[in-house]
Amino acid sequence: MTAVVPSPSDVEVEVREGGSRYDRLIQPARVHGTLYTDPSIFAEELRKIWHKTWVFVGHESEVPQPNDYVRKQLADQDVVMTRDKEGEVHLLINRCAHRGLQVCDDKAGNSSSFRCPYHGWTYRNTGELLGYPYNKGYGGKNKLELGMGKVARVASYQGFVFGSLAAEGQSLEDHLGAAKGEIDRLVGLSPEGKVSLDAGWLRHKTRSNWKFLAENETDGYHPQFVHGSIFGVTGSPIGALYSDNSTAVTRNLGDGHSENDLRPEFRGFAEPMRWFGTTPERVSNYVEAMNEAYGEDAERRMIEGAPHVMIFPNLFIAEIQVFNIQPVAVGECVQYATAVQFDGGRELNQRMVSQSIGSVGPAGMLLADDTEMYERNQRGVEMADPEWLDVRRGLLRESVDENGFTIGSATDETGMRGFWNHYKSLMTAPDEGHED
Amino acid sequence: MTEIHPAGQVIESEFASVAVKLDETGNSVRLRVEDLRTGRVRFLDALELESLVWLADGHLTQLLDPSHERWRG
Repeated sequence: MTAVVPSPSDVEVEVREGGSRYDRLIQPARVHGTLYTDPSIFAEELRKIWHKTWVFVGHESEVPQPNDYVRKQLADQDVVMTRDKEGEVHLLINRCAHRGLQVCDDKAGNSSSFRCPYHGWTYRNTGELLGYPYNKGYGGKNKLELGMGKVARVASYQGFVFGSLAAEGQSLEDHLGAAKGEIDRLVGLSPEGKVSLDAGWLRHKTRSNWKFLAENETDGYHPQFVHGSIFGVTGSPIGALYSDNSTAVTRNLGDGHSENDLRPEFRGFAEPMRWFGTTPERVSNYVEAMNEAYGEDAERRMIEGAPHVMIFPNLFIAEIQVFNIQPVAVGECVQYATAVQFDGGRELNQRMVSQSIGSVGPAGMLLADDTEMYERNQRGVEMADPEWLDVRRGLLRESVDENGFTIGSATDETGMRGFWNHYKSLMTAPDEGHED
Repeated sequence: MTEIHPAGQVIESEFASVAVKLDETGNSVRLRVEDLRTGRVRFLDALELESLVWLADGHLTQLLDPSHERWRG
């Protein structure tokens, strides 16, 4: 059978006169280059996406003890993630209520309270103002109804902490939708049903728009090219999973989330721990702990392996590591990366740290390749012509799976199209509270 | 005089017995203080300890009043 690949104009949506610019810039088979380069679009994204929707910030395991805190980013906001003495996790905005100074400077610490170095205003680690020096100037103690800023809504799923700067909106569980199942899959590989992200975060400054990263995370078309060197030197069988012959699928999970589902391939091999590039004999303590914890279901879990899922807008779970993507400017973002640690899986955890260092560490061979592409992509879209980026790959062969999700083959751009659909819905939503 | 105890160095008198040690399980070091007679434990961070150093004697005396917290009735 001969199929004619549609040109972008064939599948272009009808754009109403006076419709949103995003209807013109985002079409089913192509997106416009200015989406990655226009500072006014970036400013609008901050308002309509990063300051509104749920954004991944960190993990509860980063603040294991009462009064622990760590500095985090939520887009352009400097955030302090704290655990109060009762064990509750808070996201404070790192700004003194007096003169607006950054209150915390260290990357992490343990303190029940924070004291601003400028005039000594002191806050509980819940953000409440405890006191200030020379209180007669304010008429005495407890006279000011001020505190550190707070991220309006904070919620966790399986220990993953998300924040939303909007006081109202959908719940975190609704936001995560089908992606919850992928987080559950990851956690289900821990003999104790729990993961920790406490191995430390690598910070990679990247001169690229954040969306190139979000799109690339479930782009199964690039690995054979971009990652040929690491596949070659390690003898990894992963590359072959991303080809036209692969039974793996790219799934649009809805709400901007997407995954490369490699399970069909791994089920075919039916070899426990193949997903991790090892055998049960080499990690026998882990396998034993899994068998003890999950009985007959343990084998399925160890055959199917960990997810490869991009959770909109900034959490990427790449089997053995987690990425936290944070935008800085229209042409700059930061990728924070850490190794997944399975509670009760010490034997595997050591290997995951080593493999993560090898792939995303300072001299790692995986992320450096991707980042080279991101940065060259950014330079490329700054050129005038051609204006559009093509996202039609696989449009002709998409189908709907038994759960109603659109799927494409392993190398198709199904995930990107899902990303752009959701992005457009957020960017065309009414801009509440903003005056142009 | 101090003695070796799993909870740290012991500071005791006829009225009280506590053990102190540095705890490094958090994101920065804290002082772990255990009341050896009840097993109750409190962690004190650097800013809290500094505040104790600067506590006026009168305020410290108030804390020693048995009805202040523990035996409030």
